[in-house]
Amino acid sequence: MRSKNLLFVFVLIATLALPLGAMAQDDGERPLIGAWDTCADPMSLSGEVKIGVAFAQSEAAAIYGVPQQQAVELAIAEINESGYLGEATLVAVTEDAGSTPETAISAFTNLVAEDVSAIIGPTLSNQAMAADPVAFGTERQESGDPLIPVVGVSNTRTGMETDFAASYGDGGAYFRRVSLPESKVIPGTVEQVVDILGIETVGIMYSDNDQFTASAYEVFVSALEEIGVEIVATETFATGDVDFTAQLTNIIAAEPDAIIVSALAAEIVPLLEQARSQLGYTGPIIGGNGFNTPGIASEDRGAGTDANGVVVGGAWNVARQNEISTAFTAKYEEEYGTPADQFAVQAYTGTWVVATAIRCADSADPTAVLEALASTADFETPLGTFSFDEEGLPEHEPVAQIIKDGQYLLLTEESAAEVFGE
Amino acid sequence: MGFISDTLASIGLNEFVITLMFVNAILAMSIYLTLYGGMFSLANAGFMAIGSYVSVILTQNHDWPFLPAILAGMVAAGLIAIPIGLPVLRLRDIYLAIATIGFVEITRIMILNFDKIIAEAYTRLHMESEPPKITNGPLGITGIPVETKLEYLVVTVIILSYFMIRMHRSRFGRALAAIRQDENVAASQGINVVYYKNAAFILGAMMAGLGGGFSGHLSRIIQPGSYGFGTAVDILAYSVLGGISSWYGPILGGLALTALPEVLRPLKEYTGLINGVVLLIFIAYLPGGLGDPALWRSVRRNMSRMVHLINKGKTADAGA
Repeated sequence: MRSKNLLFVFVLIATLALPLGAMAQDDGERPLIGAWDTCADPMSLSGEVKIGVAFAQSEAAAIYGVPQQQAVELAIAEINESGYLGEATLVAVTEDAGSTPETAISAFTNLVAEDVSAIIGPTLSNQAMAADPVAFGTERQESGDPLIPVVGVSNTRTGMETDFAASYGDGGAYFRRVSLPESKVIPGTVEQVVDILGIETVGIMYSDNDQFTASAYEVFVSALEEIGVEIVATETFATGDVDFTAQLTNIIAAEPDAIIVSALAAEIVPLLEQARSQLGYTGPIIGGNGFNTPGIASEDRGAGTDANGVVVGGAWNVARQNEISTAFTAKYEEEYGTPADQFAVQAYTGTWVVATAIRCADSADPTAVLEALASTADFETPLGTFSFDEEGLPEHEPVAQIIKDGQYLLLTEESAAEVFGE
Repeated sequence: MGFISDTLASIGLNEFVITLMFVNAILAMSIYLTLYGGMFSLANAGFMAIGSYVSVILTQNHDWPFLPAILAGMVAAGLIAIPIGLPVLRLRDIYLAIATIGFVEITRIMILNFDKIIAEAYTRLHMESEPPKITNGPLGITGIPVETKLEYLVVTVIILSYFMIRMHRSRFGRALAAIRQDENVAASQGINVVYYKNAAFILGAMMAGLGGGFSGHLSRIIQPGSYGFGTAVDILAYSVLGGISSWYGPILGGLALTALPEVLRPLKEYTGLINGVVLLIFIAYLPGGLGDPALWRSVRRNMSRMVHLINKGKTADAGA
């Protein structure tokens, strides 16, 4: 009786293990993404290579964190099925980073205890400022444990690299991100917009009590100075305001070629309605990252056609697709039933960047992974050709988009002419 | 010790979480004092912000050692509580709650715009030098070294607990209890109501300032947004869940409410839901809170009854 049971268990294990073994040997179909030829197949990697994944799965930021987590899982499945890491399998150790700095610190504390080779996350920039140092900050340096690279995929706060370097010395270099900070998106976008629309003067409106809008304003100003566009009016408002007519009237009176607005989604909708419907402004409105939510142009909850002529820069647009991006979005939609957004694309890219670093380092050692990570250059991703510049900041071409009837179109002379009817 | 911390870490209570639990226990105790005096004040999130910012600015910009900076933050919160308490404590019940929420919001917005106020003052006074960046507005202060250690917190909680136990039996404590039951009667019996209410308010503010200083040196970043209405409600929830019928209630509440979401962390998007359900059950079935002495008495009674029954069973077995 007992031996029969044993035999049964043995057969069961064998049947279950068979497809696994077959999968490990089968190279599967090679995904379009990956440094297949730049780096040779890793020879010394084997067993499991663990990476930590910490995104907001609960509370307010889960709206971004859930697609991020899904995209990472999809990327890891691709990496393992295609044998990208040779004999080794990439394993995600997942923690819910919540939506506050404290929950992210706790998640990171759990992850570093698991001896991961790198950590991807967290979702929000202020969580990153609080939690990332768990992996490479003073306490970690003093404990003598290896520092662990942290790769942000949605942290867009300006100057995180320099802030970390100032606080944690060489440990700061363990922070990397694939998400373009506003300091990279805005100059690239402004340049394209000014060029295509022929802008010489602008008026600026921004919310001065929010960290994103305030820092974006500063980046706008320096980008405009760089290319010699004159700022003819500046007005501020507060997050939570509902009436912007006074500020808009002042700005429109200065007759700028375009209005730049740095605000969050909640203020953007009434602001657009007041500028277009009440004050009759028809010129271009250039927005910061807050405009990157399709909701602001929706007919029922957003500004509808009042959002026409809004120009916004972003890291990725569904319209500017390369082959890798098309393949990913199709696969993502098939797997999860919802279209991929910018957060998913960036998380997918981040996972592949980390996996590539592990492949090229041919090691799971965090420091070796960081070295390979830092030398990432000309890597083809859904976001375009991706590199880290000499300061360690991510680099790829941002996209300038223009809104027309709820759609985010690529900004070109044709699409601009269509919107402004010239 | 290692075994205990490993076991706790395995259920999600790593060292950071345990430290945070004790910080929140201190914050919960800070509101206990005002509640004990019958004052429904939510101002402590504001005092926490003041303690946090003052102590962090002192350690970061002025190279103060940690402990003096924390104490300075505590004193600063206490000093600001004096002019706030005098007018505001004339209000009662829900009106006091609303006024103190106002204070929390004003504090948050003041911190948010502090650099601008300074810059404005510089231009008005025709000062030549560049105005300093002190609170760094909405971006907050980052890269704060982690100085808060569990030992400090445990010692602080023990010291505060000692004061609480002593307070109950002191003139001060009895006066507060009398004011809670009926302010007019207390006054008619010669209790200086204004004095005692303000004293409790200021002491509570100092404790909140102390908790704020500890929390500021724990999470590496402080931002005005962390000290809003949500925090005020959290602090209140700690002491409500813990119960205010005993001094240890708020401590239990602070510890439990911080630990609960961490233990539930593997549930991901259901964390908040289950957390809420657990809270509802607790509040519905334990209106006196976790620290309700009556609850513990009945637990003890039931336990001894059970022990008694078991023993009886044993003797019966032996008899058979």
